Amino acid sequence: MSERLSQLLAELPAAAPDPVRSERIRMRCRAHLVRQASRASGARLTAPRDRTVQAWQPLVAVLGIAYLAEAIVQALQVYGVH
Amino acid sequence: MERDTELALVERLRRGDPDAFDEVYAAFHTVLLTFLVRLSRRRDVAEDLLEETWLRLVKHAQRLRADTRLGPWLFTVAHNLHVSYNRCRLLEDSAAASLIALWPFNPQRSSPFESAAASELERRIERALADMPAVSREVLLLVGVAGVDHSDAADICGITPEALRQRLHRARETLSKVLERDAAVEAAALKGITSCPSG
Repeated sequence: MSERLSQLLAELPAAAPDPVRSERIRMRCRAHLVRQASRASGARLTAPRDRTVQAWQPLVAVLGIAYLAEAIVQALQVYGVH
Repeated sequence: MERDTELALVERLRRGDPDAFDEVYAAFHTVLLTFLVRLSRRRDVAEDLLEETWLRLVKHAQRLRADTRLGPWLFTVAHNLHVSYNRCRLLEDSAAASLIALWPFNPQRSSPFESAAASELERRIERALADMPAVSREVLLLVGVAGVDHSDAADICGITPEALRQRLHRARETLSKVLERDAAVEAAALKGITSCPSG
């Protein structure tokens, strides 16, 4: 019975897709894929500038910390603590 | 689908090649629709879920792993979307329960496949499938109808291979019993007709 049942299940008819809706979905997905790919290539072109920005960030942070440290030292000297 | 072909398609999809999408779509659209129509028992729901499945594929195309197996990936998304849909529907049903009596409600008892089935046997199988609990139906549809192998079907359903084997065994048994019972009822009815005294 099990083999016969498996055969019967495998031979059940497939659903017939609605051609209009299927085509609409296909076109929508294609458009989405193309849009995504063009966005990705656009992002790749702007990547070097992003890297430059990323390289500046630690330098600005170091300068900021140095400035802050010097300001604290000066303040302590003014109040005669240091 | 050959594994090499599949890997090449995945690579092209990752690069955003729309022709690769067409090939995947042609290979899986009908089989996914068939799975979802039988699983949800509603064609309109199945078509909506299928559309969402394809949209998920293109949205995730760039993040697909190079060794992705498209069949199991698509079936998993379709299955998960169906589970989510059922959860939402349960909530809606419970919220709307008090209003149902006020609404002209005529639930469609037969599945679309059942009404279109060519033979009596097919019709009986479709009816038995439609009446099964969703967890039994989904394993039969994946393994028996769509031909997905056991380990992939287990992954799709989010269960262990052993649990799938047990679930499949129970589902087959249930289906066999329903079919045998239907056949016995029909035979008894036929016997009643033929033994009915004439005149």
